[in-house]
Amino acid sequence: MNLALLMPEWIVLGILIILTVFELLLVDNEILYKRVRNIILFGGLASVALALMATSGQTGSVFNGTVIVDPFGTFFKLLFTGALAAVIQMSRSFFRARPEKTHEFYLVLWIALAGFFLLVSSNDFLVFFLGLETVTLSFYILTAYLKKDSGSIESGMKYFILGSLASAILVYGISLIYAVAGSTAFPAVRQAFTAAPQHGILIAAACMVLAGLFFKVAAFPFQLWVPDVYEGAPTPVVAFLSVASKSAGFAALLRILWTVFPALEKKWLLVFPAVALLTLLYGNFGALVQTRLKRLMGYSSIGHAGYLLIALSVGGKSGLSALLYYLAAYALTTLALFGGICAAEPYLKSDKIEAYRGLGKRSPFLAGVMFLALLSSAGVPPLAGFSGKFLVLLAAVQANLNWLAFIGVMAVAVSLYYYLNIVRVMYFDESPREDSISVCLATRAMLTLLSAGILAAGIFQAPVLSWAENAVKYLF
Amino acid sequence: MIAFLPWIPLAAALVVLFSSAKNERFLKTITLTACSLCSVSVFIYFLNFKPEGGFQFVTARPWLPAFGIQYKSGFDGINLTLCLLHALVSLAGAFVACAPKERLKEYLFYYLILTGGIYGVFTSLDLFFLYVFFEMTLIPLFPMIGIWGSKNKEYGAMKLTLFITTGAVLAFFGLLLFYREAGIHSFDLVQLAQVLKARGGFSIGFQHFVAPMLIVGFGVIASLWPVHSWSPIGYAAAPTAVSMLHAGVLKKMGPYLILRVAVTFLPEGVKHAAPWLSVLAGIGIVYAGLAAIRQSDMKYMVGFSSVSHMGYVLLGIAAMNSVSLSGTVLLMFSHGVMAACAFAAIGFLYEHTHVRNLHDFGGLAKSMPFVALSLILACLASLGLPGFSNFVSELLVFIGAWRQFPAVVIAAVFGVLITAIYLLRAVREVCYGKPNPRWAHLKDAQGFAERFPFILLLGALLIAGIWPHVLLRVIEPAVGALLS
Repeated sequence: MNLALLMPEWIVLGILIILTVFELLLVDNEILYKRVRNIILFGGLASVALALMATSGQTGSVFNGTVIVDPFGTFFKLLFTGALAAVIQMSRSFFRARPEKTHEFYLVLWIALAGFFLLVSSNDFLVFFLGLETVTLSFYILTAYLKKDSGSIESGMKYFILGSLASAILVYGISLIYAVAGSTAFPAVRQAFTAAPQHGILIAAACMVLAGLFFKVAAFPFQLWVPDVYEGAPTPVVAFLSVASKSAGFAALLRILWTVFPALEKKWLLVFPAVALLTLLYGNFGALVQTRLKRLMGYSSIGHAGYLLIALSVGGKSGLSALLYYLAAYALTTLALFGGICAAEPYLKSDKIEAYRGLGKRSPFLAGVMFLALLSSAGVPPLAGFSGKFLVLLAAVQANLNWLAFIGVMAVAVSLYYYLNIVRVMYFDESPREDSISVCLATRAMLTLLSAGILAAGIFQAPVLSWAENAVKYLF
Repeated sequence: MIAFLPWIPLAAALVVLFSSAKNERFLKTITLTACSLCSVSVFIYFLNFKPEGGFQFVTARPWLPAFGIQYKSGFDGINLTLCLLHALVSLAGAFVACAPKERLKEYLFYYLILTGGIYGVFTSLDLFFLYVFFEMTLIPLFPMIGIWGSKNKEYGAMKLTLFITTGAVLAFFGLLLFYREAGIHSFDLVQLAQVLKARGGFSIGFQHFVAPMLIVGFGVIASLWPVHSWSPIGYAAAPTAVSMLHAGVLKKMGPYLILRVAVTFLPEGVKHAAPWLSVLAGIGIVYAGLAAIRQSDMKYMVGFSSVSHMGYVLLGIAAMNSVSLSGTVLLMFSHGVMAACAFAAIGFLYEHTHVRNLHDFGGLAKSMPFVALSLILACLASLGLPGFSNFVSELLVFIGAWRQFPAVVIAAVFGVLITAIYLLRAVREVCYGKPNPRWAHLKDAQGFAERFPFILLLGALLIAGIWPHVLLRVIEPAVGALLS
């Protein structure tokens, strides 16, 4: 057993302990605490990223094969680490103007990171459920973090009730699998499925597991919670939820579908395209009538899940590498967008789209970044979002899913309407206030980096694509 | 060098983005330098171009080898002619764009992106990049019309962007099918042509299915009737430089892409759809012409007029023989230069008077002889007066299309008459008649910066009209190669 393989995870745990200790030690000294905390958080993220890169090519398993390390997991771990860095910066600007104390907030964010790491490395249903619940419980706390804000409480409550239901279904599925296969280890369960692909209980169990994961990625018909939760939760949490939680859901889906359920491939190919279609339509048409930006982002994230599910239905190396590329592009785009929202929100004091009137004048920088991110989200070349959509749709056409690709293509035109509507408000409408919005240097740096990433990933597709292809190889 | 053509304005756009908005002189210098540099190099290519079929000055570098995507550029007679058109109009437009206005920096930033994107469309020989540049050009229009436009600008901007994007994504789907069906993992137009020639082309069923998709998808931006309705509203709302570029050049991307993709690779499909296309084109010519008669707003009038004229272009494509296609390409050039000139003149008048209604003017030939003359010449060119290349090219289209679609050609000739009605009436109302005392104080275009755009465009119009061979000599071999 080579525990050095888990170097990034050890660092995550170490930082978690350090963070807890310092929080207890410096509980009275707010200013010193904040400084130390920032150093620990960003230093910790940098060292995690370094450790991930250092172990990037390695594969192996630890803890009796319940946890595996491979480039597929590393791809997602890097994604989570990068996303958390952006989310922490967003949280700093978000809480600056708010009365809440943030001691537990960053701690819980970090626990969620640990959960994500465990989730994408799991090779056993028990470890998988442990990782998933660590993440989900953290998000229950995070979404309801603004104790005095009824919207936040409501969103936390909704997420908690529906999330527990999804978890319950999932864990029941796992118990059924254990009942038939006699084991929770992925390889053993895979054998059970291969031996009896028509086994009724196994198929029912697989459906339950998939339902639990579809809840996470907001696939139809498990998407109803998304707009409500997005609307009320603190903005940085929404960003983390929409980027990291969705990516983790897809990582788990890919891992389980391709390493545990491959025997069911013929069956799921009948279902997934329909799910993808409905998710796509629900998200894009739902977004058309929204008047609140975060709620609109909820619908748009359902729409994006639709494209990701198209890639999932295609399967194979081309479909899955397109999926990973799309996720990376989606992460860059969404983080840039939420970064802009977080920086503007304290000044606008409202989540309504019409509050963004005149942002182009009040802060050309923020409006510019959001314009770019909205275009990328809609899939306009030469931005990251376009390359993602191009790869997904090309893979779909190659796999003869023509009708699905056609709907996917047409949804681009629909989505452009509601994205451009935000641009219209930001640039064309006059604001009732003229005072400019100041953006702190760190946020500026983050948004500039993300924008550069959106452009770079859109123009030079090859590096990200080959990285995704390399990661996907380990699923087959 | 040709590979850099789109990147010069795009790089200039980046420079503009990162420089101070207060230093307007610097911003203008950057814009004009980038546009002139591109225009001069296109002109040099034009002089060095050997009039024969096939692509010249081809450069290629691999981009995404997994999908056979390359960054490949080159010229044949068709895209060279259109590039020349863009070189003229974008340079003239740059001078117009540099006129004083609010938020000049952002305006020039978008203008440069637009210019670079159009160069990209007209130089790329790889389907992927062709599409990327095509869709890239659509986005700067939205803020440009929405922020600096006039009259119903938000509606016009949204309508224009959504219509054209919907068409573009429809065509995108066609291109994806095309890529799969070709099955050689390549987006390279030259290689695709060779492989398909050896194979005897796509199956008939596939051609019949995909060709209409591409024609309608790319036809939206060519304002194919009945998906033209974005065009007059969009042009009426757009600021002058945008109207010039859009009516002059951007609209020609549609027919160009139909020629480059549909006619080249799906000839049977286009032939199958041609009767429909010709009827739609004929309806467009007459309908938009009649609508133009009813307009009193000059920008709406020229907008409808451009819809009507794009009908001739589409008719030429529907006929699909060497005479009609040569006429089509020449008409794209002539109409582009003429439309840009007309919009420049109308824009100039609007800037100074803030009215666009025909009846509010009068006797401008006396007070503003230069601008009035430009407007008159553009109108005369547009109505097909011999001596302008519009006449030559429309004639070629009619001759080419006569055999297949005599009824549509008769309607189209009737359309020329309609054009004469509304344009001559406009000339009479605006330039002649009783001088309106409101405009007595108006100054004519003065100085190099104001006059140069008109001189450039009118010069090109006259040269191409008196000596159309200078363009036809490069167009004809390319059209021949396209049809073979």
